[in-house]
Amino acid sequence: MKRLLFVLLTGLLAVLFVITMWRDTAREWTSYQGRFLKTLHTDERRNVSGGIKQIIVKDLNRVDRCTTCHLAIDKPQLALGEEPFTAHPGKFLEWHPVEKFGCTVCHGGQGLATEVKAAHGDVKHWEDPLRRGNVVQASCRQCHGDLKAIEAHVPALIKGREVFLAKGCYGCHTIKDFGQTVSQDLTEIGSKSYQLMEADFEMMSPPHDRIRWLETKLRHPRMLNPGVRPEHLPPGEEEIFPSAMPHFGLNQDDIESVTTYLLSLTASNLPASYVMPAPPEPTVTYASDLEHGTAVFEKYGCAACHGIGGVGGRHNWNGGLGEETPPLLYVKAYYGNHVEELKTLIRSGRQPVPRMNAGRPNPGLYMPAWKDRISEPDLDALVVYLFSLADRLPQPQTPQAATDQAQTSPSQPTAPVDSSPIN
Amino acid sequence: MADPAQPFSLKPYLKKTKIWKSIFRHDFSDTPRTRLLRIFGNVFLHLQPVRVAKDAIRVTYTWGLGGISFFVFLVLCVTGILLMFYYRPASMLAFQDIKDLSFAVTLGPLLRNMHRWAAHLMVVVVIAHMVRVFLTGAYKPPREYNWVIGVILLVMTLFLSYTGYLLPWDQLALWAVTVGAQMAANAPILGNEGPFRLPFITTANDARFSLIGGTVIGDATLIRFYVLHCVAVPFLFCIFLCVHLWRVRKDSFSKQTGEKVDVWPHLVSREFLAALLVLIILFVWSLLMNAPLEAEANLNVTPNPSKAPWYFVGLQELLVYFDPWLAGVVLPTLIVVGLMAIPYVDTNPKGVGYWTKMRRKSFGPFSIWVPQERPFAVSVFMLGTILWFVLIFIGTYCRGPNWEWYWPWEPWSYRRLTKLTLKNIPNLWGGLLVMSYVAMGTPLPAKAKELIAAKAGPKTPGRLFALLHLGLGMMMSVCLFVPLLISKDADYPLRSRYTTLFEALGRSINAPVMSNLYHLFQQAGPAVGSAVVGVMILVVGLILGRIGIAFGKMKNRMFDELGLVKYAIVISLLLMMMGVLGKIMLRLLFGIKYLISLPMFNFNI
Repeated sequence: MKRLLFVLLTGLLAVLFVITMWRDTAREWTSYQGRFLKTLHTDERRNVSGGIKQIIVKDLNRVDRCTTCHLAIDKPQLALGEEPFTAHPGKFLEWHPVEKFGCTVCHGGQGLATEVKAAHGDVKHWEDPLRRGNVVQASCRQCHGDLKAIEAHVPALIKGREVFLAKGCYGCHTIKDFGQTVSQDLTEIGSKSYQLMEADFEMMSPPHDRIRWLETKLRHPRMLNPGVRPEHLPPGEEEIFPSAMPHFGLNQDDIESVTTYLLSLTASNLPASYVMPAPPEPTVTYASDLEHGTAVFEKYGCAACHGIGGVGGRHNWNGGLGEETPPLLYVKAYYGNHVEELKTLIRSGRQPVPRMNAGRPNPGLYMPAWKDRISEPDLDALVVYLFSLADRLPQPQTPQAATDQAQTSPSQPTAPVDSSPIN
Repeated sequence: MADPAQPFSLKPYLKKTKIWKSIFRHDFSDTPRTRLLRIFGNVFLHLQPVRVAKDAIRVTYTWGLGGISFFVFLVLCVTGILLMFYYRPASMLAFQDIKDLSFAVTLGPLLRNMHRWAAHLMVVVVIAHMVRVFLTGAYKPPREYNWVIGVILLVMTLFLSYTGYLLPWDQLALWAVTVGAQMAANAPILGNEGPFRLPFITTANDARFSLIGGTVIGDATLIRFYVLHCVAVPFLFCIFLCVHLWRVRKDSFSKQTGEKVDVWPHLVSREFLAALLVLIILFVWSLLMNAPLEAEANLNVTPNPSKAPWYFVGLQELLVYFDPWLAGVVLPTLIVVGLMAIPYVDTNPKGVGYWTKMRRKSFGPFSIWVPQERPFAVSVFMLGTILWFVLIFIGTYCRGPNWEWYWPWEPWSYRRLTKLTLKNIPNLWGGLLVMSYVAMGTPLPAKAKELIAAKAGPKTPGRLFALLHLGLGMMMSVCLFVPLLISKDADYPLRSRYTTLFEALGRSINAPVMSNLYHLFQQAGPAVGSAVVGVMILVVGLILGRIGIAFGKMKNRMFDELGLVKYAIVISLLLMMMGVLGKIMLRLLFGIKYLISLPMFNFNI
């Protein structure tokens, strides 16, 4: 009995050891290498060796094992039509020699891994997912400060930056030392840990990664942070409003572009030899105060809350004025004779903004203080622009004009026309 | 000269060579003589006696737990040494080396998994071994000292596991070790955040600093833990292990019944089979489950929740109910010291060498299993052990973000909030409560009994004793309910609406007793409410007093058997353990945070 048990257990242990050895030798990458080597002629095979391959880039502190499976990435003559055996498109590897750059510095993912899912960063606890498609353009900005010079290769990145400016994101978010602090600092949003960027995946279907989260946030700003209704809270606890971020109605293309731009904002600290600094910003001269003021309005992101062209209408939970941000079309009517009061309001902001219901918490959006950000000449120009917005209001109608209008175009809306140059 | 008729055969030839003879001193035929020689002639097997009582090596007596923990330690040594070839203890390299182990090194994942799972297994097996030794009374004379060595080995096992936890240098490691190191910061006197801190103690010279080698966990901690884990503690462990095993030989096995049998093959074969079985379990475990590895350690990102290694999670769970210096320092110290004290305070000679039989005993409507011999020792020890593992279970599976309660099947939500407004009982009342609780441990020695009986009649001592317990029970009940009803809410002295602790707690807490009482007050009016509270004071007081009386006889007997010093040790350890349970109840049912609170000394109970 004991002898039998002894033999059985020893046999089992031997089998387990064989299984372990087999699992160790038959790792995922070996099947890819096998498939690839089979397609080669004998003379081609001579220069291709098997085993784990790695590119060690000392300067960037990276070890990339991607070429273990992507065997033909820098050998176009051996490339096949299917992944992972394609060659790198374009001349990018010529400009960025693999030995000097590796793979993950541009493409993201986990260079040390040798399993597909782990290497592509589609696993828990790896917060740098593979940058698939256009999103990879985000990486260029780590070194290329001057995007104009590589314009043709980074359309999504450039467009993303334009949309970011046009929608007034700076009005609430900071990037480096520019922008407001109403909401998250986006300076390192492309590399910050999920926890620090407050990426809450609870309301999101998988995959749970940075790229998908940013896209979802841009598509439905409130979906990821729906707040907590009072009925779901213990008695006496203050309710939490949904995310205050306005819904900008971005289309798929815009979303991808802005995501690309946001991903380019990383904490990467590359050696100076890699970095090509941006040229200094040209100083702009404006033809008129009005043009100057328009530029100021756009530059500081006022449009995010006050609407493009100052039409207002952004939802602000429990804000005064019917839970909406105030439109700026009536600024002249209110402050036309009190310019200094208007300037003081812009300089010091309004925090907290009036509440609709005093029993509920403060609204998420508020007017931040601008005194350290907008210079006095800029502020004067901004006031000129704000007063000019009154022209967009429908003119007080004389009875004659009203009947004319009713006859000619009864269906024409009289809403202010959006004439922002960026749109 | 060899016989030419016989064909040449290798084995006899080899056996005649000088090399063979110099290595193997005897032949291997199964004779009584060689059975002895095998044990005598082998340095490793010589650790065991030559002959042993048959009943002592029954699997159902020891379950082979001591041997298995030794074997798991060997597995850990082997896998650990192999891992050391691939691991560099520096914060820039460590995480990358672990990634290499899991992705590139031949058999790397197996090594890492096996080391990890064997470490967990060792903790479990060592604790199980201790429980077995306790339950079979194997710590009783002459084996008291070896029990103490065993407790030291248990502590070292935990410390080995804890120091190893940091080495992968991922988030899991960093924050588990942070939780553990924080306990050192809360040590009384020597910890920067502990009670009665010495005036010259700062973050840069307190107990935590000496543990982690800095004010924050960093490279210094990593190298420190590496040396402790790979060299220093294993070295000490081996020394104590030698003593432990040698004492087993010298003090003989606890069971001596049954005929004597040869250790070879009876015991050696069992040990071999046990080792095989453990190895198979470890192999399967390592094949099925990968050792966890999270993102690289980052001091700026604190996971929510951060949990200590599982064997310390019980203490972390206690942090809910006690201040860190109590939960993290005093209680574990008392547990260790209490364990070491067991053989010296347990003078009961019974129960050595066999598992105590259980019998059913009815308590009113309930009937429970009670050990036939050593009922007190076995119940208390098992209660403590079960409490320890229940706390670990709660901490591991029932705690989510912000250490909120989640059932194991519930998904975690970072949005969920529970409102808990805990209150302190004023120090005077709380102090009285604690004192009455401690006084519950008073025995009535036989001499005092005689003295009183001689002066005031034979029934008086019994009556006095019962009265004392009922009085103490009533006192505890009063000290709990009265301050709740009449004490001002110290946190909001100016708020006139919530005048008493009762109202403050009742309005804002989900502790069942408080909120239900409060609702009763609101709906039925203060008259009914006060009557109910009055009845409650009475009932709770009577129950507590009754429990005291029920244990009264046992206390008196224990005092007479043990003498003052041993009795004091036993009763204070027992009161401490029950006190932990009591404090948990106070917190969960009544929402009471502290009974005594002296913020100027950082001293709260």
